[in-house]
Amino acid sequence: MGAPDRATIFPALAAILAGAGATLALLLAETQWHVAVVALAGVAALLIGGRAGFGDAIHRSVASHHRVTSATSWLAGAVVVFLLREHNFELLMLCTVMLYVLAGLGLTVQFGFAGVVNFAAAAFMGVGAYTAAVLMTSTGLPHLVVVLAAGVVTALIGSVLLLPLLRTRGHYAALITIAFGILFRTFLEVNDTLGGPQGLKVPGLQIFGYAFNEAIEFDDETEWSFYTAYAGVFLVVLGLAYTLVRRVERSWMGLALDAVRLDETAASAFGLNGAAWKIAAFSFGNFLAGIAGALYAILTAFIAPASFTFGDSLLLLSIVILGGLGNPLGLLPAALVVVVLPEKLQVIQEYRFLLFAALVILILLLRPGGLMPRRAREYFPGRSS
Amino acid sequence: MTHLLEVSGLSVRFGGVRALDGLDLHLDEGETLGLIGPNGSGKTTSFNTITGFVLPAGGTVRFAGEDITAQPPRHVARRGIARTFQRLRLLTELSVFDNLMVGQHLTLDHGIWANLLGRGRLRGAIARQTDEMRTLLRHFSPTLPDRLHEPVSALTMIDRRRVEVCRALARSPRLLLLDEPSAGMTPDETAELMRDLQNVKAARPSLAVILIEHDMAVIERVSARCVVLDYGRKIADGSYAEVTRDPAVRRAYLGEEADA
Amino acid sequence: MDPALFAQHLLNGVMLGVIYALVAVGFTLFFGVLDVIKFSHGDVVMLGAFTALATSIAASAAGLSSPVILAAMLLAAIVGMALVGMLMARYLVLPLRNAPTLNVLLVTLMAGTVIREGVRLFYPQGSNPKPFPRLLPTGAFEFGAFTLRHDSIVLLVLGVGAIVFVHLLIVRTRLGLAIRAVAQDPETAAAMGIPFRGTVLATFAIGSALAALAGVVNGLYYSEVSFNMGLLLGAIGFSAAVIGGLGNVYGAILGGFVFAALQTIGAVALPFASAYKDVFAFGVVILLMAWKPGGLLAERSAERV
Repeated sequence: MGAPDRATIFPALAAILAGAGATLALLLAETQWHVAVVALAGVAALLIGGRAGFGDAIHRSVASHHRVTSATSWLAGAVVVFLLREHNFELLMLCTVMLYVLAGLGLTVQFGFAGVVNFAAAAFMGVGAYTAAVLMTSTGLPHLVVVLAAGVVTALIGSVLLLPLLRTRGHYAALITIAFGILFRTFLEVNDTLGGPQGLKVPGLQIFGYAFNEAIEFDDETEWSFYTAYAGVFLVVLGLAYTLVRRVERSWMGLALDAVRLDETAASAFGLNGAAWKIAAFSFGNFLAGIAGALYAILTAFIAPASFTFGDSLLLLSIVILGGLGNPLGLLPAALVVVVLPEKLQVIQEYRFLLFAALVILILLLRPGGLMPRRAREYFPGRSS
Repeated sequence: MTHLLEVSGLSVRFGGVRALDGLDLHLDEGETLGLIGPNGSGKTTSFNTITGFVLPAGGTVRFAGEDITAQPPRHVARRGIARTFQRLRLLTELSVFDNLMVGQHLTLDHGIWANLLGRGRLRGAIARQTDEMRTLLRHFSPTLPDRLHEPVSALTMIDRRRVEVCRALARSPRLLLLDEPSAGMTPDETAELMRDLQNVKAARPSLAVILIEHDMAVIERVSARCVVLDYGRKIADGSYAEVTRDPAVRRAYLGEEADA
Repeated sequence: MDPALFAQHLLNGVMLGVIYALVAVGFTLFFGVLDVIKFSHGDVVMLGAFTALATSIAASAAGLSSPVILAAMLLAAIVGMALVGMLMARYLVLPLRNAPTLNVLLVTLMAGTVIREGVRLFYPQGSNPKPFPRLLPTGAFEFGAFTLRHDSIVLLVLGVGAIVFVHLLIVRTRLGLAIRAVAQDPETAAAMGIPFRGTVLATFAIGSALAALAGVVNGLYYSEVSFNMGLLLGAIGFSAAVIGGLGNVYGAILGGFVFAALQTIGAVALPFASAYKDVFAFGVVILLMAWKPGGLLAERSAERV
């Protein structure tokens, strides 16, 4: 590698640094003013940067140094977690953001790639959460198995909707998921075995005998928040899911899903089995949502029907659209805006559903591509063949 | 001897309308058949029925000796029948390459290993496909191969029509159904497209083609045999010269042109 | 079952059915002219109810008599919602005419959230359920165990009257002809000199006026309204319109009564728990979709190639 080649990595590194820095700044900002300034600056940077062509420069740079940049991203994530190690509340928010991104990845595969609507994403998170709660309290299954099982159960319960979903399209399909979301919430509220409106308590995570709910103490009085360990685990889960979704996109699978979304009928003339791909996308998306839900239950130690409402499903959908439908990377800034901003900015806490609804309306009317519009597929970034 | 494609007694009804009424049609390997007839005579419907998009009310379609009547489109595709659509159905926001790969869907490896884990095989497949598709596109235009990674939406209508044809050719079908591929082209462009098609056919001698076309001059040049439809029925079947002399055809279709 | 009890459930079901049909007709009218779902429709129902509520408070403060208050409430709700409907059509739905169809659903879902949250946050103590004034005669006919409240009769007449009115509007008037023409084929309609935009706006005004009426009827029947009543009513109205077959006005009315029947049956016939009536009703809706993907009175079949 020659020197000029090495220099092209700077835009990518700068972008990662800026992303990590913005995340930290948003989480650690203390006054309302700081929060507002950081958030506005971040969003403005994305919008203006995209228009000024920085986006393309960064994209080229990331593409031509794919390995280094993905390693650096992992590292940056770990550093952010490490720097927040003594900030309980901030870590909890970061964890929540990561879980919303995880569920958003599922929704990206379903809605963004395959075009299968899902207005019940929060309900599917709820299925995962309740499954995990029940399995952890009433069985002795190892917790890693419980989390995976929650994903599988969610995908299975989702498959109940497959027959009606495959036989309908557009608005009819949308109604099916809306009906399911309302049905699920109502079911939880009236079902006493699952705790009714009061919900269920969930024990802390244990992996290989390590109890996550204990603060991490060192001899010299320093003490790390127990959320540090959770954040570490979530980072790994999220990283794996992200890589998987990216690889789906950058392969024949992603192409088949795009074809299903854009013109299933035409693609069937070339042998594409639209139903099979929709089933795969819907189930995989629900699997991710279920895992996100299970981890959410464990993280918050308590779940109730009120956490998995239709409004929450819309919030998840807002994240996916705000970030840029079909772009997994856009989920991160979008989730930060949607999850962290109302928590930090108490002025808007009460108004958050109103504000985000209005924001999504504006995006759909004025900038349908979102904060980070999806880019054309590159099977192997940086190798323009 | 059996024909590559044998359509017999094919009937289609849309409500009370008989879109196809007992159509018989056959085609051999390597043959090019022109399918002509006035608007609404059932040309596109016959394509849609052969490829499984429309269910017939009666009759059979046999391909390479097997009954494929009323099979779903993806099964028909698997047998080696490819088609174009009259109103282009390209995925315009995807690249030319991706569109051609949709045409290659059945040859691609969609397994988890190749796509998600190993990916070495995917890399090899993409390199191979890129070369193949450039070669295919070069038959139709000197500039298209260089635009392989541009979105279809950036292409002119003419180039899009070429890509639509290439998508159908990508997987080397045994039977190619072309639904007015030259619609909207100037006479020169049409002539060029037909010459390009004949070049491809010269390289693939066993490829059978059915071409729906309005321009009789085009049909005369490319196909040895034509079938004329009117009101869903076949009213003539033979060489261009025979068909154009047929009084029923002249009445139904060529009336004005015969006077000219 | 005891006949009196049966009649009581039947009456209740019919009442619900009328409310649902009023909402569903709006959904199906919008879909007819524009092929879109305006999901905020349920929240327009709620906003109509709150507009009526606010009007009644103002009117009773002015010392008006009950019938006048009622008329003022209806007038304010209907005119107000017709305006809201037209504004939403003009600024949210029409601009997205060429965008993917689900974008309209999304935009209006979010618009519904804006309305809902707006009422919750800005109506005085908006997050609590509000008592709705009882302005109708309070007496009742007693037939053994079966009670027929006078107000129920008034509400039924009001609801059925509105449905019949809309039916006549669509079948008999020039405006109705224009709506049917645009629903059939907007381009041809435009070529025949039917103003597309005007017809769409009129359709949204009519649909939203029906929603306002549904909100007032709902409020008078239950004597209570709340900011989040629209979400469920919207989902039910959407379900009803889909059950009947989108775009079909009679299908929507049928769908409204089917959904009401499902809820009533769910509440009465499920021995274990009537609390599951909504679970049951929406579950059956999902099954109906699997069985008849285009609705009970589906018109269109195969997709054009």
